[in-house]
Amino acid sequence: MTIRHVLLPILLLAAPALAAQTEPSTTVGGYGEFHFTDPSNATPSADVARVVLYLSHTFDERLTFRSELEVEHARIEAGGSEGEVALEQAFLDYRFSDRFTLRTGLVLIPVGIINETHEPPTFNGVARPAADHDLIPSTWRELGVGVLGRLGDGWSWRAFIVNGLKADRFSAAEGIRGGRQEGQKASFANYGLTARVEWARPGLKVGVSGFHGGSAGTDTLVGSGSFGAPVTVVAADARWESGPWSARALLVNVAVPDAERINSTYGSTVSTRSQGGYIEGAFDLLHLLAPGRPARLDAFTRFEKVNTQAQMPNGATADGSLDRTIVTSGLTFRPLSNVAFKADYQIVRTASGASEKEQFDLGLGFSF
Amino acid sequence: MRAPTLILLLAIALRGQAGAQTVAPKKIHASVGRVFGAGTQVDTLSTAHGPVLRALRHDSLLGYAVVRDVRGKDQPITFLVAVDNAGRVLDVDILVYREPYGGEVVYESWRRQFRGRSAADSVRLGRPIRNISGATISSNAVTLGVRAALEDLAALRHDGVLR
Repeated sequence: MTIRHVLLPILLLAAPALAAQTEPSTTVGGYGEFHFTDPSNATPSADVARVVLYLSHTFDERLTFRSELEVEHARIEAGGSEGEVALEQAFLDYRFSDRFTLRTGLVLIPVGIINETHEPPTFNGVARPAADHDLIPSTWRELGVGVLGRLGDGWSWRAFIVNGLKADRFSAAEGIRGGRQEGQKASFANYGLTARVEWARPGLKVGVSGFHGGSAGTDTLVGSGSFGAPVTVVAADARWESGPWSARALLVNVAVPDAERINSTYGSTVSTRSQGGYIEGAFDLLHLLAPGRPARLDAFTRFEKVNTQAQMPNGATADGSLDRTIVTSGLTFRPLSNVAFKADYQIVRTASGASEKEQFDLGLGFSF
Repeated sequence: MRAPTLILLLAIALRGQAGAQTVAPKKIHASVGRVFGAGTQVDTLSTAHGPVLRALRHDSLLGYAVVRDVRGKDQPITFLVAVDNAGRVLDVDILVYREPYGGEVVYESWRRQFRGRSAADSVRLGRPIRNISGATISSNAVTLGVRAALEDLAALRHDGVLR
């Protein structure tokens, strides 16, 4: 057998340029959104909803730091209750291999769609969906460590261990939202586990995700152990696009089985179960009018149900005004994929008929 | 002892105009071997559009490949485009993906969309290359990078540098 018939490897001599180390580099980016809101039950208002500075630094081929520093509502004042400056995420990635990355720091909880992918041009509608505020408390980030990986063709997963929640700040209207610790001297009296599995192919992505964590803190009246007064969030989501059509859907269930003890201890009206979700469809009008251009003009409608009091513990009565049906229709004009001009009209109906409203919104969003 | 004369050397830096980032030679080796088949011999042409890998077997030309970088959100994505003698894409391979989100571009189901396309075809995100939600920046960057590579290879063919 001559060498000609041997399976010959291709010998690539280690050329200097190939072997060179990645140069350290720092990247600045950002995103922001401005809202104008005209509700039927209040005066119109305009707001710098958020402007976020994205800063990342690449140390070498494997180590990267990434952060988002956010200013909400334009400014904060001493003694004022409006406005917020906060880290939305700040973590160090260590890329072990193409399939495996270790992430440590203030990480995004990988539940649902918006929490991880929240740049304003990526979603229709001026405000984020209510389910992504009151059920999945986006932008939900906590301190922890975890791994991200890819499995074969189309599958990816991530799993983190993070600090738990704080039950004393749960509320009737916003569920677990107030209980986030967001990296501020976070108590590790409780732990949280969170994970997401995703399957994607061109035009389609579906994911299931969850969070399970304690919220009792050190209050033994509420619960004890690392997962005392547990909160379990389970979500399923899908995104689809084909030609001018696109759609997305989300289903969320939030369970707080010890709500009765939380309510008796803190005088709150937390539900044992919150649930909801939405389905949204959109059609790009420019696909027909101006094919061959990057601009899009999406006409969309989102049908949403959000009930933060789907099931109440003993001693608490559900507030029907928190059982909401929200229909949002509007237009999103994207001259480029990362700039969006938005307009929508929202109709909010409730089970009790209280707190119903209609609302007209205008918005501007960008990311770079 | 017989010298392994058929083992051709790929010694020239694969630093294209975009400046290829660190990529292990064995990765390029594996990628070229996968696309053109085991036993492929490779040499490197130095061209006005950067280095071009030439794939041969038993002195017959199989095609060409280039290794390029495109910028994702803030990291370079290193990819390889392999074409046949007619300049049609045999495959696109993502050699190194470094971003925190958007890694779906490595999926075969996404990369497969480029196969058979040449510089004369439409290679655009949306039409006909479909996006993957949550990976728009990377999908767009790689699509633009592939198109630029195909145009460069077509120009070299036009100039007679490539057969």
